[in-house]
Amino acid sequence: MSGLQDFVMLTLVKAAPLIFAALAGVICERAGILNIALEGQLTVGAFTAVAVSFATGSPLLGLLAGVLAGALVGMLLGVAATRFGVDQIVAGTGINLLAVGGAAFGLTVVFGQPGASSEVPALGSTGENVLIAFAFVAALLLHVALYKTPWGLRTRASGENPRAVRSAGVDPRTVRLIATALGGALAGLGGVYLSLGELDLYSDGMTAGRGFIALAAVIFGRWTPFGATGAALGFGALAALQFVLQRTGVPSELMQALPYLAALAALTGIAGRARAPQSDGVPYTE
Amino acid sequence: MIRALGIAGALVAIAAGAMLLAGANPIMGFYALFEGALGGKSQIAETLVQTTSLLFPSLAVAFAFRAGLFNIGAEGQLIIGGLLAGLIGARLDAPGFIAIPILLIAGAAGGALWSSIAGLLRARFGGSEVIATLMLNIVAALLANYLVVGPLHSPGAAGPETAELPHGSWLPTLLPGTRLSLALPIALVLALVLRYLFDRTVFGYELRAAGSAPEAARRAGINLAKTAFIAMALSGAMAGLGGATIVTGVLHRFNVSLSPGYGFIAIAVALVGDLDPLKIIIASFAFGILQSGALTMQALAQVPKDVVSFVEGLAILALAARRFVAERLRVQPAE
Repeated sequence: MSGLQDFVMLTLVKAAPLIFAALAGVICERAGILNIALEGQLTVGAFTAVAVSFATGSPLLGLLAGVLAGALVGMLLGVAATRFGVDQIVAGTGINLLAVGGAAFGLTVVFGQPGASSEVPALGSTGENVLIAFAFVAALLLHVALYKTPWGLRTRASGENPRAVRSAGVDPRTVRLIATALGGALAGLGGVYLSLGELDLYSDGMTAGRGFIALAAVIFGRWTPFGATGAALGFGALAALQFVLQRTGVPSELMQALPYLAALAALTGIAGRARAPQSDGVPYTE
Repeated sequence: MIRALGIAGALVAIAAGAMLLAGANPIMGFYALFEGALGGKSQIAETLVQTTSLLFPSLAVAFAFRAGLFNIGAEGQLIIGGLLAGLIGARLDAPGFIAIPILLIAGAAGGALWSSIAGLLRARFGGSEVIATLMLNIVAALLANYLVVGPLHSPGAAGPETAELPHGSWLPTLLPGTRLSLALPIALVLALVLRYLFDRTVFGYELRAAGSAPEAARRAGINLAKTAFIAMALSGAMAGLGGATIVTGVLHRFNVSLSPGYGFIAIAVALVGDLDPLKIIIASFAFGILQSGALTMQALAQVPKDVVSFVEGLAILALAARRFVAERLRVQPAE
């Protein structure tokens, strides 16, 4: 029984950052921005949180800074895509390089050493549990916001038919920019969870492709908050299962590859029709 | 031209600022960067090695772009190409004139196979090639790690890598004592062939039509799905060939970390080169300088080498915004 309990707990621990990042992906894609820079937002959120906690001694300030930094990186994508006509995919690739390089560089500047930071004041196990719980609250909030509020209607419409939004007197580019800021903040929180929640330091590559697994979760969850959360939970369970199967000879690479393979399978429509928002990734111009 | 110089100047200024932030002297930093990249025969040779390794995936990315496709997966295709070349190469004992073509073709085939998964998803199911190639990048790295450590582990391999290729299978060196090999002329020829293909052939025309005006191309009888599939496969073949040249010409074995992200930097290179194969050669050289000088810069001027990827990321954003700015400057909006 305690084995099962451990497994469930480990699943939640592994799923939480994926949920944050996947919800970020849902907001952005529903608004029409394909955010392939989630990995960069996780990275910057994780690093900034550790750097600020190190400088101020307050993990809470670190958390706020990480969320803010994630939002800024998200807005960098939003501004590039909606104001400067930069292709979303190109901008996302650039931001990922920028973020990973910037964090590695910042590590040397702030901590005077490459690879990993020193240990900093962290949120502790209580903080970690609060963040895990908040991941589910965030999914619920996003569901309500997307489907029951005028903001949600505008956001979803910007991803489906931005011209209609324009006709209603709202600039879809602004709607999209707000979505990237909110999404960036959520992904930043996912990064904070990794560095100050699960651990108490930042190390290069600690996000380990979670931004891309989150994109897979968005597709598998059919672009809905609950669907993406469910997919992220499933992928978290796969990660937890890896620990259980460690000595059974099942290759760990196979377990790690499953989320990506699942996303590829979802693209074929094998699990029912997986349809992206009509204008997902399509720039809006006047 | 002036605008490009302006962007370059801004990037240099940002890099200098970053160096100051790291407590280093920017003049020393840039000096060390260029000293490390161009300071002598062996440094220049190493820069050309980096240029070559960037040129293949950059041409791959540009080729797909021209056909209206995003190949974000050059990294994975390069890895699979290198993996196949390494796995076969470590087991193949044949004279060079047989072994080398086999390994290069195997690499191209591996890359093509890998990108074709994305091409098939796009052509057959309308699935986004962006998502597919992103996912395939990570699957490629995991697959390579699994195979070389696990079932296809070669005796004599220390880390996550294959055994060394027999000397006969090494690409001939251009400059004795350096890693500069025949891969460079192969890459240059590929660039010239692509230039000819784009400008002078019906296939090149169809590719560009499918990329720039898909609806018109469809009405003109071009099969968009088929074109997309072929373009994706050929793009992957170029990246895979690049991986094979790293294995046969540079490392002489496959190692899972054979690429420091060439497939991603390639996106910047392709944009800097305006998707024109000839300009991409020059852009690859410029980024080759950054890649090969970065370590010297870190060692001599205490500038963390990661400042390079930071600047490369900025370059992508700035260059992608450039067209927009250019349009704005030329055409005043009517409002």
